[in-house]
Amino acid sequence: MEYISIIVLVVIFVSLMALGVPVAWSLGLSGFITLIVTVATVPSATTIAQRMGTGLDSFSLLAIPFFILAGEIMNRGGIANRLINLAKSITGRLPGGLLYVNVIAAMLFGAIAGSAVAAASAIGGILGPRMEKEGYPKELGAAVNITSSTTGLIIPPSNILIVYSLASGGVSIGALFVAGYLPGLFVGLLLMLTAAVFIKKHNLPPGEMTSWKELGVKFFSAFPSLMLLVVVIGGIVIGIFTATEASAIAVIYTLALSFFYKELRVKDVPAILLKASETTAIVMLLIATSMSMSWVMSSEDIPQSISNALLTLSDNKFVVLIMINLILLFVGLFMDMTPAVLIFTPIFLPVVVSLGIDPIHFGIIMVTNLCIGICTPPVGSVLFVGVGVAKTTIAKIFLPLLPFFLAMVFGLVVITLWPEMTLWLPSLFGL
Amino acid sequence: MNEYNPYTFRSRLDKAVGFLLVVILGIMVLNVTWQVVSRYVFQAPSSFTDELSRYLLIWLGMLGAAYVAGQNDHLAIDILPQKLKGRKKIRLQIFISIVIIAFVLPVMILGGSNLVYITYVLGQKSATLQVPLAYVYAIIPLSGLLVAYYQIADIIELLKNEPAD
Repeated sequence: MEYISIIVLVVIFVSLMALGVPVAWSLGLSGFITLIVTVATVPSATTIAQRMGTGLDSFSLLAIPFFILAGEIMNRGGIANRLINLAKSITGRLPGGLLYVNVIAAMLFGAIAGSAVAAASAIGGILGPRMEKEGYPKELGAAVNITSSTTGLIIPPSNILIVYSLASGGVSIGALFVAGYLPGLFVGLLLMLTAAVFIKKHNLPPGEMTSWKELGVKFFSAFPSLMLLVVVIGGIVIGIFTATEASAIAVIYTLALSFFYKELRVKDVPAILLKASETTAIVMLLIATSMSMSWVMSSEDIPQSISNALLTLSDNKFVVLIMINLILLFVGLFMDMTPAVLIFTPIFLPVVVSLGIDPIHFGIIMVTNLCIGICTPPVGSVLFVGVGVAKTTIAKIFLPLLPFFLAMVFGLVVITLWPEMTLWLPSLFGL
Repeated sequence: MNEYNPYTFRSRLDKAVGFLLVVILGIMVLNVTWQVVSRYVFQAPSSFTDELSRYLLIWLGMLGAAYVAGQNDHLAIDILPQKLKGRKKIRLQIFISIVIIAFVLPVMILGGSNLVYITYVLGQKSATLQVPLAYVYAIIPLSGLLVAYYQIADIIELLKNEPAD
């Protein structure tokens, strides 16, 4: 019986998405249709509506609109620019330095805003034209920009880790945030090493020399933005405030800073609020319909049958993790990150926990894995934005992207097989 | 295609919904900031802020989802719609709008209204604010109505512009 539901669900969902129906509505409709196969129509409709409402009823989810808003303010208020300038004065002088600048800026930006799409459009928009002027191949620059902007999803604060915390039934957000640092930096480093190979191959020019004095100036001007990081993450780790409160403080802080820089006026604020509301609503509708879909799946016992199937194949934890990784890589090709995390966490988490894997470790694995998915066609939100910003096409960028994908996959393998890299920092802080 | 006209019903509706979204998100920020301030500065943790922001988030998410549907900005794989041209493209876009209505009408509008009705009859109230939960959930059918309106308006617009080939 469960298998019929799985087939109905998957077939309807995939065909709707392929036709171009927005992902969130496809999730909702396929969940609804699956439910009315076994349950009467009126209770089904009422239950799905209720799940959509209660799916959003969570204090930790509130951090998402606030971090999105803080990112939007950073973009318009000159903070993003200052972070890029700092990155530029660190690695700009190296041959092909702008590529490293891109990776470092993405990590810094992501470390504050927690959104890969925002990072890709902000940094690509600023660095792209400079790279073109200095003769960098456009597609190479875009490939670096797209892949490196995902590091911001692993490095805290990260909206997707908040979503994982919700889906996992309450893994500590603070612990997940701290756990993300080393894996995120590791992936960033791998991307820089990959970029180095191509810098040699294309013989890219060094940038302008920066003196120590200038580095100091740039650091000083970016210092208040970097302080935000300390306040937000420090506050969460020490337990002064929750992730949600920290995100609201991030909004107030970035707003005050942008007013101080005189790059933002009070009359610009409504437009920023509207833009952030739109981005939030896109994520929230995905969460609402994913939650109802996830509920339908568990009421049809689908997670149970999938985990039984997985455990009959093997009970070695690394074999199971690798199988789950392969499934998620495949899922990531077609599905955006938020629904993937909300739908697959309840399915896979019980399996891996029963094999003795730490839920924090699994969260970082899952997010790192799906970071690859959002850069790959046919469905990749960051890919679309990165390609759009660079004014190139998916067909042209595919080959230059491949080596960077391989670097990310290598990073994923290491993160999966070496739990200590993820779990060492949280244990150090006693989280 | 069409010149933007600020006086049509649709653009007025967009403006009104957009204004509401800005107000809701603004209140949310102030509200959570107040929560932190009241706890640390005044040593008196406020009790209503947690609940208020959660309900505002449901409103922001649902109302915003309708707004974004009106702008056709929800995340979709638009490979097929981009590839098709002329009449076929318009047919597909109409089909997509119908699919959205097929979800919104039974689930959000009818199921949502039923949910509001049930919680209203049962008199369920929130824990601290004592707000009837029916008011919180009312945004689900409301948002459903807005989405349905936008889809129907899109279909009418598409039919008007359908090339006769």
